[in-house]
Amino acid sequence: MKTVLLLIRKDFLRFKADTAAIVLTFIVPIILILIFGNIFGGGGGSRGKINVIFVNESESKIAKTIEAKLDSSDNIRPVKYYIDDKPREKVYYNEERAKSAVEAGIFRAALVFPTDFISDTSSSLNIKFYYDPSNEIEISLIQGSVQKLVMSEVPALLPYLFRKQINKQIGKAEAGNFQSRLTGLIGKFFDVNPDSISLLSDSEDAVLNTSVNKADNPISNLIKFDSVQLVGKEVANPGVTRIVGGWAIMFLLFSLTGAAMSLFEEKTEGTLKRLLCMPVQRSQILWSKYIWSMSLGVVQLSVMFIFAWLVFDVDIFANFLNLAIVIISSAAAAVSFGMIITSFAKSLNQANGISTLLILVISALGGSWFPVSLLPDWMQVISKGTITYWSVEAFLQVLWRGANFSTIAPHVMVLLSTAFIANFYSLLRFRKGKVF
Amino acid sequence: MLKIHHIVKHFGRIAALKDINLEVARGEFFGLLGPNGAGKSTLMNIIVGYLKPDAGSVSVDDRMMVYESMEMRSNIGYVPQEIALYQELSAIDNLKIFGSIFELSGKKLQTKIDEVLELVQLSDRKKDTVKTFSGGMKRRLNLAASIMHNPPLILCDEPTVGVDPQSRNAIFDMLKHLNESGKTVVYTTHYMEEAERLCSRMAIIDNGTIITKGTLSQLLENLDQQKSVKLLKNISDEQLTQVKQIGNIIEHEFHFELIPDETHSKLSEIFSKIESININPEEIALTRASLEDVFLHMTGRSMRD
Ligand SMILES: Nc1ncnc2c1ncn2[C@@H]1O[C@H](COP(=O)(O)OP(=O)(O)OP(=O)(O)O)[C@@H](O)[C@H]1O
Ligand SMILES: [Mg+2]
Repeated sequence: MKTVLLLIRKDFLRFKADTAAIVLTFIVPIILILIFGNIFGGGGGSRGKINVIFVNESESKIAKTIEAKLDSSDNIRPVKYYIDDKPREKVYYNEERAKSAVEAGIFRAALVFPTDFISDTSSSLNIKFYYDPSNEIEISLIQGSVQKLVMSEVPALLPYLFRKQINKQIGKAEAGNFQSRLTGLIGKFFDVNPDSISLLSDSEDAVLNTSVNKADNPISNLIKFDSVQLVGKEVANPGVTRIVGGWAIMFLLFSLTGAAMSLFEEKTEGTLKRLLCMPVQRSQILWSKYIWSMSLGVVQLSVMFIFAWLVFDVDIFANFLNLAIVIISSAAAAVSFGMIITSFAKSLNQANGISTLLILVISALGGSWFPVSLLPDWMQVISKGTITYWSVEAFLQVLWRGANFSTIAPHVMVLLSTAFIANFYSLLRFRKGKVF
Repeated sequence: MLKIHHIVKHFGRIAALKDINLEVARGEFFGLLGPNGAGKSTLMNIIVGYLKPDAGSVSVDDRMMVYESMEMRSNIGYVPQEIALYQELSAIDNLKIFGSIFELSGKKLQTKIDEVLELVQLSDRKKDTVKTFSGGMKRRLNLAASIMHNPPLILCDEPTVGVDPQSRNAIFDMLKHLNESGKTVVYTTHYMEEAERLCSRMAIIDNGTIITKGTLSQLLENLDQQKSVKLLKNISDEQLTQVKQIGNIIEHEFHFELIPDETHSKLSEIFSKIESININPEEIALTRASLEDVFLHMTGRSMRD
């Protein structure tokens, strides 16, 4: 055991002297978590807004209201003009200019409220959206935000558009008649003053006013859209919580495969042979590598989670014990991954090549970069064959759902038994003596 | 001290060692001489228990060396042919790591480190990382790392490869010093001059076989001819034919070597013959037979071929 400890200390000294390894193990993952954390979750600073050309050619008050909301949107920065060079002056976008700016790739999307945003001939809102699909995520973000803005006006808009529809069908005068008879009836039935009931107003002002006081409007009560978040309720920063586990496990695989592969370096350096000509057994060298890699992995994961806690408020203490269990079993699985590659590869270069390729593939498949649910069904089946999947899922369970041990037990079992089997095989390979 | 008994080792179809028998007495400086690929390193690896022989046995102090057994390891200081050091770490860290494996620690370890660094003359560079060292310095540290545990038997596998003359002399002095302080040294090399200069006894190995062994004078004794004459190459073809009547001519890169026949045993006779052929005496040099000649004699090849 003493020899093993001495060998671990040797690995620590070597790691300490290897700036590249330290940067790859701690600095690079932290920078990536910082970048992606800001994209998906918003850390210290707010996320950058997406520039979208916005043209409002409509005189409609509703259009103006939505425009005002766009101006104060968190996600979108409406760009309404550009500065021309000669003569130096603001040029406001119109629909044509907006289209050509998107076509030229200057902006990725343009939102246009045309003059007939609301028209007497149509009962629907007329909005035009021009986009360049080269960045689908961005486009869906923009679409989503615009839809949300418009939808927030819906309770008031709905009766208005409904009234326009009726006007169109039976004529304006007849519709007014219908309206007053209906309010009269309701007033009589509920015993209220019919004038206080605004049901299907055909004035835009009424729409805007009702939206101020939506709750009192009987029709707006017809659509009750209660969105209730069920899972991850108390998670301070859901976006980062999702990604931190994914990135952490990917870099864990890289650093621990590196640690295992240092057996090759020691072989080419000749130090492995020197040790083996001293009172050191092969098994002691393997154990020291294993324990050292495990410790490095646990420290690396802890540093990443502590970082996520400090910068993004990811709550790592609420479910600390289970988090620790997942950290340890992930590290065990990652070390065994490195060991098995080291035991099968014929040279350091080969081991490097194979491991880089494999880590990238299983990170993509296993959900390090994006949720596995985005993959086609058959790929999701393959996902389950990667240690990344089980590790990322377990981190999510622990940090997101606050899962107890019985929930993560299957994940932990998969990780640990993978580690066990892989270590067993690599041990057999090492005995045959390809590396040693 | 060291007994090597009928060692055989194959690597696939290559027979690296064919029935090697050797004995090295305590306190000897024993040379193992042979060209590239002769099997020197393989034999060393078997002696330290790193490689398993196909047949035969090794014993140190009459105790059997068992492959991979830890028991004998602390009796042997093995200096590998390759530089086997942690290049990213300092000289001191390297020595600490290798010293601690031999259960040295604390003050004892520190003293030992200072002592070996002094011995290999690297004290002033002890805090520098190994990769900043010159080839010769690395070699010296490579040696230092192997003797931290004060082993009675030191195996040096070509410790002077790629080393400048200064470092080479430092290594020689060090090994001599160690030998004089009672350590048994086994030294492999393909430099004949090194063996001649250092070793009290030696064996010549070629193609996995020991072709001859003994003290330097014993080895030279076996040669038919102990003297040869060196001639510069500026002699004419006619002169050359005449010289050939005195003995055999071996053509070297910059000179001819004349090995006189047995009938011409007297030096004075040889000189007067050469003079009579009209070769300027200043271009004649007498060389004594060397291990090179022994090798040539035994194998019909030059060592460097
Ligand atoms: N691990 C190995 N696998 C296969 N063949 C080997 C191995 N080690 C040595 N050999 C072969 O055994 C023979 C002896 O090699 P060895 O290294 O012992 O020679 P050497 O005398 O040390 O030569 P050098 O002066 O070049 O170091 C060579 O033919 C070599 O190719
Ligand atoms: Mg060799």
